Amino acid sequence: MSELYSVELENIVKRFGNVVAVDNVNLKIKENEFFSLIGPSGCGKTTTLRIVAGLEEPDEGVVKLHGKDVTDVPTHKRNIGMVFQHLALFPHMNVFENIAFGLKMKKFPKEEIKRKVREILEIVKLEGLEMRRINQLSGGQQQRVALARALVIEPSVLLLDEPLGALDLKIRQHMMVELKNIQRKVETTFIYVTHDQTEAMTMSDRIAIMKDGRIQQIGTPLQIYYRPVNTFVASFIGEAVNLIEGDVKEDGFMETRLGLVYCPESEIKGKAAIMLRPEVLEIGNKLKDLDNILNGVVQAVIFKGSYVEYRIEVEGTSFIIHKHGVTNTEKIYPVGSRVEIGWKRESSLLIPLD
Amino acid sequence: MSIFLKVFVIMVFIFLYSPIAVMVLFSFNESKSLGVFTNFSLKWYEKILANPHVWSGLYNSLWVAAVVTVVSIILGLMMALVVTRYNFSGRSILESIILIPIIIPEIAEALSLMVMYIFLNIPMGPMTVIIGHIAFDISYVTVVMRARMIGYDKSVEEAARTLGANEFQTFIRITLPMLYPAILASGLLAFTLSFDDLIKTLFTTGPGFRTLPLIIWSSAARGGVSPELNSLSSFALSISFLFAIFRLRAEKGAGR
Ligand SMILES: Nc1ncnc2c1ncn2[C@@H]1O[C@H](COP(=O)(O)OP(=O)(O)OP(=O)(O)O)[C@@H](O)[C@H]1O
Ligand SMILES: [Mg+2]
Repeated sequence: MSELYSVELENIVKRFGNVVAVDNVNLKIKENEFFSLIGPSGCGKTTTLRIVAGLEEPDEGVVKLHGKDVTDVPTHKRNIGMVFQHLALFPHMNVFENIAFGLKMKKFPKEEIKRKVREILEIVKLEGLEMRRINQLSGGQQQRVALARALVIEPSVLLLDEPLGALDLKIRQHMMVELKNIQRKVETTFIYVTHDQTEAMTMSDRIAIMKDGRIQQIGTPLQIYYRPVNTFVASFIGEAVNLIEGDVKEDGFMETRLGLVYCPESEIKGKAAIMLRPEVLEIGNKLKDLDNILNGVVQAVIFKGSYVEYRIEVEGTSFIIHKHGVTNTEKIYPVGSRVEIGWKRESSLLIPLD
Repeated sequence: MSIFLKVFVIMVFIFLYSPIAVMVLFSFNESKSLGVFTNFSLKWYEKILANPHVWSGLYNSLWVAAVVTVVSIILGLMMALVVTRYNFSGRSILESIILIPIIIPEIAEALSLMVMYIFLNIPMGPMTVIIGHIAFDISYVTVVMRARMIGYDKSVEEAARTLGANEFQTFIRITLPMLYPAILASGLLAFTLSFDDLIKTLFTTGPGFRTLPLIIWSSAARGGVSPELNSLSSFALSISFLFAIFRLRAEKGAGR
């Protein structure tokens, strides 16, 4: 028996005139999964989400909810919740009326509506604000109302389109934790759209990365961070990345502009890139027990609190290194000093270039 | 503000309102004279309020304006929805055409209506008056509504759809309430325009059907200016004034 998925997109294509906003997208999202869709601006995230909601009709492909083809089912019969980028709260209703709207449409009895609204207000921590008008709420509170309004109808899937975009950093970080907690409590599939990879990394079970309407990779945060399938994903995910391009000569060696470099053994032949996360690189004066050691000059030192970021130039190529666990007694290499950088071949990753 | 500007503003107001002030003042004058104010009296008001023609004129004006308002709101709202929501070729032309009635002289509107009724052999009466008013009030309603709908966030309606509301429920429960201030403001505008209208009514009414402005007009045409006419005009003025106040308050609400 095949596994039952919460949402399935099969070969979805959506065009706006000449623009292909969504280009042959396939997704299978599991029950109760926190799934994020990330990518640069204009890559088709919102359009994909709107297709799941039925607010946009795909030109090609099939949308399934819980195994049932809903491609031709109108939005109001899909039982999906959606939190919009600009929240889209009803300005002419108070908090209670906003949240109760969906239950009223679904013809719940009055007493049950009251009870359900009370319960959801408790979950999003907005007790006592029922009678407030929308414009009397803070940004974070409005955010919670939008969330409560979508969750109270117990949707089979909750779609969130950059819901934290309008909030400032402090509240955003707080809401990230809250969102994850809420998702655990309500046990609903969340599809979360953002262009902020930190948000996605923090909360998601799995992440899909999109570019130009196409899915580049689907995987857990760890997989996409350490095992990106292409250089776009490698650069898009994480704070920084070092990529050394070259030619794989034979298993385990690559010819680069920095000379012959040890790389992981793999199937990949020909044009490829070595990916090195900034925290896997070592920096020092007499490095030992490493497969690759290069000589460079410190170009910049940036103190980032919990770590120090070095920018080091090696024969015209710039490397970014994050050194964690620096104590103030330890030596920080000053700008202009000559240093060695090095890494073990197994802490690097070989990515094919096309 | 400088003294000069203050004086200037005051003079503009005197210029604007002194004719009205004089008219209202002399409507309370006991003597028939328009030159000397003798004694305060309500006798001219008593006289016009005892006149059944005035009452039937007021009644006709009110119900005509009410029908015109309701129909203009419905048609104007639909027009505004069409030009703001849908992209089709010829939309900008349509948007301009709809504004033309606002700029053409009322006498031309009135004559064109009359010519059309005669051409189509339609007997003149309350219906022709109402149709004439509606045909031009739609433009005003559309303009007010359209201004309000530009910048209207469509995702609010989409949110309602995801919450289980069908298109009709969304329109009734979300779109209409959100447009309520615009509906109120444009409705009061349509009402005032219809209530105050003389020229179109004059050209398109049939025998025996007279609105309040028409009664004032024929009384002035018959007997010239008199204290009785003054009080009649003041009476009509106060009703229009009332609606103007409502409208200003509604517009303030819409701007919020
Ligand atoms: N209604 C529309 N009409 C025409 N083009 C559209 C429409 N909606 C989206 N597009 C185009 O489709 C592409 C994908 O848009 P989409 O809104 O899905 O991007 P996104 O990934 O959500 O971007 P962002 O991060 O900026 O929100 C863009 O090129 C956009 O210009
Ligand atoms: Mg978007």
